[in-house]
Order: sequence, then structure tokens, then C-alpha cells
Amino acid sequence: MDSSLVKLTVQGVWTDASPNAESQVVLLQDEAKTNVLPIWVGSAEGTAIRMALEGMIPPRPLSHDLIRNLTEHLGLKVSKVVVTDVRNNTYYASIYLSSKQSDVTVDSRPSDAIALALRTKSPIYATREVLDRQSPETVDPWLKNLDTKGLGGSA
Amino acid sequence: MLTQMQVRGLMFDPYTNAYIVILRDDGNSEMLPIWVGKPEASAINFAMEGVSTPRPMTHDLMKTVLDTADAKIISVVVTDLKENTYFAKIHLLYEDSEYSIDSRPSDAIALALRTKAPIFVTDDVIQKHSNEEMDRWLENLKPEDFGKYDA
Repeated sequence: MDSSLVKLTVQGVWTDASPNAESQVVLLQDEAKTNVLPIWVGSAEGTAIRMALEGMIPPRPLSHDLIRNLTEHLGLKVSKVVVTDVRNNTYYASIYLSSKQSDVTVDSRPSDAIALALRTKSPIYATREVLDRQSPETVDPWLKNLDTKGLGGSA
Repeated sequence: MLTQMQVRGLMFDPYTNAYIVILRDDGNSEMLPIWVGKPEASAINFAMEGVSTPRPMTHDLMKTVLDTADAKIISVVVTDLKENTYFAKIHLLYEDSEYSIDSRPSDAIALALRTKAPIFVTDDVIQKHSNEEMDRWLENLKPEDFGKYDA
């Protein structure tokens, strides 16, 4: 298993146009634009990611703003988040927290990890193995079907 | 002054298409319905029913972050009501100091249920939430509105 890390940036959040899909798709891409990683997330997490991308400040802190505020109060720094695994189309992620004393890794859904990373300006990575499972043959037709009008729109 | 309250239930409001968390004090003399979004309702429901999910949900992650820093939630308090919007604070104990962090009541309650922290409401909020409004709302409730919540 190749666990070397590839840095990704969030390209946007799309609403999945397929008939019975309720969820949204977060699109991650590496700097060389050779790898694309779409991750399906719930509408709440999709909104949380979209708001961070658009730099929207809500009147009351939303869940991920609260997590960021908690980490700040507790002297924890989000050093990076990593999409670590995919099993049965379900992605897994880790959030790397560092404090004065130690470094800790906590399990997370990728959606929470990405929503937090965007708010803490932390880098987002995926393991090479996760990316290698995304072959162009499976991703490209899917990308063509994306409703690009959904990009950046409201949830 | 603060009144301690418990989460008594979660309902679906068909009129606003939203979920309502019912807070009630131990003497059953005060009741506070708080409208919350679907994901937060689901987070509160999971904690009430003790459901554990294969991957950590957002508020489980919150708890993990607190545990990582060895921070403890002392209490959560619903502190204000402005234009039908409730505000809350989470009170933390971390390295012998106390901190108050702004939160939506839904996040605060979802976290309190996971950390077994007490939930309080200020008397000011209870007062602002007028009895009339409450009664009108209750009169409109039908028995079939209960137990409609489907996570």
C-alpha cells in the first residue's frame, strides 16, 4: 500500500444531479491536475464546505466554526487533514492536531475534515493509494454528467 | 438565574419543515421548544438513542477534540433569544481555566448529550419566550405530530 501523501485543493461543491442522490459532491484536485477525487457528502457538510470556500461568516457559528473555535481555545493546531482510506465507496479521513505537548491524530469523515481544514487554512492530502483507486475511466464520464450550474450555488 | 433543563424530545414541525428540540425543567413548569436544522436534529437524536455510527459524526469529532486536549464541558447555557433566534454558550474547563464559547443551541445540546454535561437556560430567555406563543403552538399540535422524526 502506497501511503505517500498528495496535496489536494478543493475545487468546489456540486449538487449531484442524479435523480435519487440527495447528497453533494466535493471535488478535490492535485496541483498538477492529474488526479481528481470526488467525495460525496451530506447537504449540511456540503454547505459547511461551500460557506468556507466563499468566505461567508454566519451570524452564529456553525458546527465547523465551533470546532475551529474549540481548537483555538484549547491551543490545538490543525496541522493537516488526510483522506486515508476508501472502503465500499466510503471515505475515511484523519485530522492531525498538534499541541504544545504532543501530536494527535483523530478519525473523521472527510467532509468534517475538509470543512475544518478550510476554516483553519490547513493543507488537505489524500494517500496515493486512495487516488490510485480513482481511475480516469470511472471519474471522467461521471464528471461529464455533473451539473456544473450547481457549482457554488446555494444548498 | 439559570434553570437546568433536560431534552425531553424531538419533534418534526410540518408547518416549518423543521425539527424542534423540547427542553423541560425537572419540575415541568417551564418548557422551551428550540427549532433546529435536520443535521443537528439527527445529531441530537443519535445521542438520545445512544446510536453509534461507523464513522464519527460532526459532534463526535467535537467531543474527540475536547478529549484530546483533556478539556471538560462544565455546562451549556441557552443565553439569549433575539428575533426568534436562540444563542448559547459552551462553558469549558481547560488547564484550570474556564472558557465560554459561542454556539448555536443545537450544537451545544448535541455536545452536552455526548459529554453528559448539564443544560441550562437563563431566566431571561424563559421570560422572552412568552407563554402565549407557547400555548398557541401547543394547541396547534396534533398527536400524530409526535414520533414523526425519522433520522
